[in-house]
Amino acid sequence: MQKIKHFLRAINAENIKEWKIEISYKTDFIRTFIEPIVYLLPYFFYGLAVVGGRHSDYLKKLTGYSDIITYILLGYVLMGFLGTACWAMGMAIRKELWYGTLESVFVAPVPRWVYIAGMALHSTLHQGLIMIFQTIVIALSFKIVLNLKNIWVALIPLILMVLSLYGLGILIAGLTLLVKQGWTISEAVYTLLTVITPIAYPLSVMPDFLQKVSKLSPTTYGILGVRYFLIGEKIPFSIESVFIRLIISIFVLTIFGFSIFLTIDKKLRKTGTLSHY
Amino acid sequence: MSQKVIVIKEEVIKNFKILRAYWIEIVYWILSPLLWVLPLIFQGKALVGGLKSVAFEKLTGTSNYIAFVLIGAIISTYMFSSIWGVGNSLRWENYVGTLEFILNAPIHPIFIIIGKLISNTLQSTIFVVSQFLIVMLFLGVKFAFYKLLPILIGLVLLIMGLWGLGVGLSALTLLIKEAGGILHTVEFILYLFSPVRYPTNIHPITNFVSKFIPLTYALYIIRGTLLNIKINFWKNAFYLLVIDIILIPLGFFLFKKIYDNSRKKGTLGHY
Repeated sequence: MQKIKHFLRAINAENIKEWKIEISYKTDFIRTFIEPIVYLLPYFFYGLAVVGGRHSDYLKKLTGYSDIITYILLGYVLMGFLGTACWAMGMAIRKELWYGTLESVFVAPVPRWVYIAGMALHSTLHQGLIMIFQTIVIALSFKIVLNLKNIWVALIPLILMVLSLYGLGILIAGLTLLVKQGWTISEAVYTLLTVITPIAYPLSVMPDFLQKVSKLSPTTYGILGVRYFLIGEKIPFSIESVFIRLIISIFVLTIFGFSIFLTIDKKLRKTGTLSHY
Repeated sequence: MSQKVIVIKEEVIKNFKILRAYWIEIVYWILSPLLWVLPLIFQGKALVGGLKSVAFEKLTGTSNYIAFVLIGAIISTYMFSSIWGVGNSLRWENYVGTLEFILNAPIHPIFIIIGKLISNTLQSTIFVVSQFLIVMLFLGVKFAFYKLLPILIGLVLLIMGLWGLGVGLSALTLLIKEAGGILHTVEFILYLFSPVRYPTNIHPITNFVSKFIPLTYALYIIRGTLLNIKINFWKNAFYLLVIDIILIPLGFFLFKKIYDNSRKKGTLGHY
């Protein structure tokens, strides 16, 4: 119990440290809230240009829902949490290496995963705030009405997706330790998952082999699950199976991510290349 | 060979050596712009049920939205490279602790920046040509070589304008230090208001702002040539040239002003 308390304190210390660093660069901090809104606009405009209006009959045929703006918004807003795993957790160690503080942080009397967990906590809180802000601004600007009756139950697939992405984040952090120039790994995983996740389209429009790959990603179930509850999207599995698959991916990704991270960490400490640039 | 040319050449070689050391980045920069297009293709398919859109044709002159976004993604490589490859280059030297060393070389740093501009342009061109080759090979797209000249003119004019932008941004990183945020903002503004992923004439505001961005005119020329869209080539080339004439001296002037000021204040190596 004492040990858990000790770890939790370290996780929170890391979380607070990150908030302090971010808030000290005020313009940058404000930008993190505005940028995701700007990021989404080309997807909206592209959709409007292709359809020639806001409602798509074909999308309705596929998903039971025709408003392309709401559909695209929900997909991309949730994908923000993928950034938590790929960038905040994955690049956490590389950032300390850049700043020259890696060794100081790593001599703290806690396991290294605690440090990554602190980054995950901070990033989830920050991303959560961004998500709320982004949704409110876009909902007001585009006059979107969401069915908030199901909001609490919609949080379940979201939370399960975020938990499984933590496993992925730990995995990327381990690989970053190994290859050093880790942004390529973060970016590659981010790009790959963005391609295979049905963010702004249903699974059925993807080629068969991509649909199969997509079914291996927690982001697929997270996004389809949330859209199922909030806009009643027709999904190709039962909602129970969405929950089960998400829970399985939490276990698989966490165990796999931790094993890789700990193996690489041990190997680098043995070879003395942990702080190599 | 004059000292200036040697410095430029060495800077180009250095940047290629760094890129070769991180070879996975080469693969990444070639493939990722093509991968980023896939979600837009699926999105288009989900919205209209096919690979052509009549509404899209009314706005752009082509119903082929896939070709539209593919060309946008490939050519935008130059813009992102100018922002991050050149704009962030001095900050990067700062990170790796080599900024003072290169600035201490007995030559004006603008020649080092020119070396960075040339190496980034060469690298971007390798990426862009590889992307076009992939598209031609795997998607069976045919390319008529007589179209090469107008495309090259559009590209050269675009690259010149982006050089001005890159130099100006690199100066900004000397002034603001943690300028990653500003570079991100510039990237997002240019990305939002350029017709990279959507036709900017869909909204009056995006249409207005896009007229000040060189990528807009370059994309008009390149898409028009490749997709047989009716465009006024000379008018677009002229607008690009006007933007270049403004951006290039402005970028170099900003660099000189900020560099001299930072040296006077002694803040060059500040973190």
